[in-house]
Amino acid sequence: MTPARSTRIVLVLYALVVIAILYLPLVSVGFASVSRARYLTFPIADYSFRWYAEALASETVRANTLISLRIAAVVTVVSMVAGFFGALAFARYQWRYRPLFQKLILLPIFFPQAVLGLALLIWFNALGITPSWKTAIVAHLVWIAPIATLIVAIRAYSFDPALEEAARDMGASTFTVLREVTLPLLMPGVVSAGLFAFLLSWGNFPLSLFTTGADATLPEWLYARMVSGYAPLVPTVGMLSVAASFVLLLAGLALHRAFARRRARGPAEE
Amino acid sequence: MPAPILRLQGVTKRFGSFTALKGIDLEIEEGEFFTIVGPSGSGKSTLIRLLVGMEDLTEGAIWLRDRRIDQVPANRRPTCMVFQSLALFPHMTVGQNIEFPLKIRGVAAERRRERALELLELLRLPRNYHARRIQQCSGGERQRVALARALAFDPEILFFDEPLSALDYRLRKTLEKELKDLHARTGKTFVYITHSLEEAMVMSDRIAILRAGRFEQIATADEIYARPSSRFVAEFMGEVNLFGGRLSEGAFQPEEPGLRMARDPAALGLDLPEAGAATIMVRPEFLRFLNGGETADFVLAGRMIEQYALGSRLQYEVELPSGRHLTVEKLREDAFAGPRGSEVEVGFDADHVHVIRGD
Repeated sequence: MTPARSTRIVLVLYALVVIAILYLPLVSVGFASVSRARYLTFPIADYSFRWYAEALASETVRANTLISLRIAAVVTVVSMVAGFFGALAFARYQWRYRPLFQKLILLPIFFPQAVLGLALLIWFNALGITPSWKTAIVAHLVWIAPIATLIVAIRAYSFDPALEEAARDMGASTFTVLREVTLPLLMPGVVSAGLFAFLLSWGNFPLSLFTTGADATLPEWLYARMVSGYAPLVPTVGMLSVAASFVLLLAGLALHRAFARRRARGPAEE
Repeated sequence: MPAPILRLQGVTKRFGSFTALKGIDLEIEEGEFFTIVGPSGSGKSTLIRLLVGMEDLTEGAIWLRDRRIDQVPANRRPTCMVFQSLALFPHMTVGQNIEFPLKIRGVAAERRRERALELLELLRLPRNYHARRIQQCSGGERQRVALARALAFDPEILFFDEPLSALDYRLRKTLEKELKDLHARTGKTFVYITHSLEEAMVMSDRIAILRAGRFEQIATADEIYARPSSRFVAEFMGEVNLFGGRLSEGAFQPEEPGLRMARDPAALGLDLPEAGAATIMVRPEFLRFLNGGETADFVLAGRMIEQYALGSRLQYEVELPSGRHLTVEKLREDAFAGPRGSEVEVGFDADHVHVIRGD
């Protein structure tokens, strides 16, 4: 159905507003990153990629990137595993405390992250643990693992419990059922959850700020350089960070496509 | 007589305060096509889940030959079920689905493939379906794949949980016959669950009618059709005309005032009880329209009010003066000639009557 002319105009306007609000600010950072000047002025007098070269050469940037990557990688892996099993408990199995579990697991998502970060920091201090990038992993997980669980749970809700029963009926042990049936069927959900977990951890600021201690993640570094001692590297590193997220997103989409295509086409003759 | 392959003894299943199965006894013979029929809520799904081990029984025992299996978990029982939803693995090919039980058992890949191809042939599916995705198969093909997978397991008993219920009428009819044929070719014991007695009649050696957690009757299809043990079974088994009544002083007193008996019921040779309530049952195809002069053992007068075409047969509805409706069925060549609304006399003979005892 083709929408009416007036509807089409509204749709185009809507699209323009969305693009302006969501992406235009990013474009200005992009411009700032390629300006030779130390401070951003418009119009840009002289374009240059020198800040990119400097960012890639910077020891601090590299160290912070590594910390961010390390946190995000661990958070991603743990979230995928926790999301998978959590989703089974959330959506698949009937057990006594399921309704309570379903509510409890959602709670951290609704907590303001700053409060969550503060609470964890106090908690780490009470336990005598020195905050570092490792404690930040725990902090990120408190917030991200429930989200991963929800993402996998959506998929777990849509699968027929009879599939597991059938596998069991044909002699499969609990572990075999999990490996041969449950895991492959939930895999697309687990991959999506992993993708989200990485992106949410990579871009997280409030939780990291409270819990990394002496270490700093990329977003923390960006913030620190904004509020004190602005460096022209800030927009550049920002752009690089966005680019990294974007590449990952594309990789994730490609993986999804590959899954879907394999389904639709069927595997090659064995 | 050989020992039964499956024996149930006082099988009871309670869910909280609700009793789904009330002390069921059953014996199924080796090689039998046995169907358990019941309306929804009768406990048939619970029963089959108990039989395959997906549910624990509350009381009683289940024996497979001389081995008690009610405490054996589903994955260690030598039986297999075709699920209502078929439960084909969507992430596997047709071949991988069929080979699944063999893979679990650790059969070598080459041997598995060989067996899968044999089964495809047995189920009359082309060999190249081995590499197909489940999503590429039609409803009927999926049924066959599910069957092939269950047969690959090589179960002692093959259970079916209404696998045909989601299919359209024509495909269902075809597959019913194929299943019966498959049963004959494999010689396996089939235990089938359905809510459709029609389906049960086409395929089964014996049928058990389940009602509210108890068996009403266990018999062959013919027996159940012609000699149901209760009004429930009679009515469950398609169209039927029932006339309740009581026996007093040796004579049958029907509740329907219009029912006239040409002869003394004692002389009709009916299997009437000594006293108490009884119901006379006659199937619609045994009712005749009486033309002038013709008579029958039982006669009723009424008005023909409606006529339905059932394909090869025609169904008539006759209203009696008491307001009750009779159902009459005739082959097309015996169609009733008169117009709708005409006064008719309908009769039936004692040979076609079955007496149900009790209320």
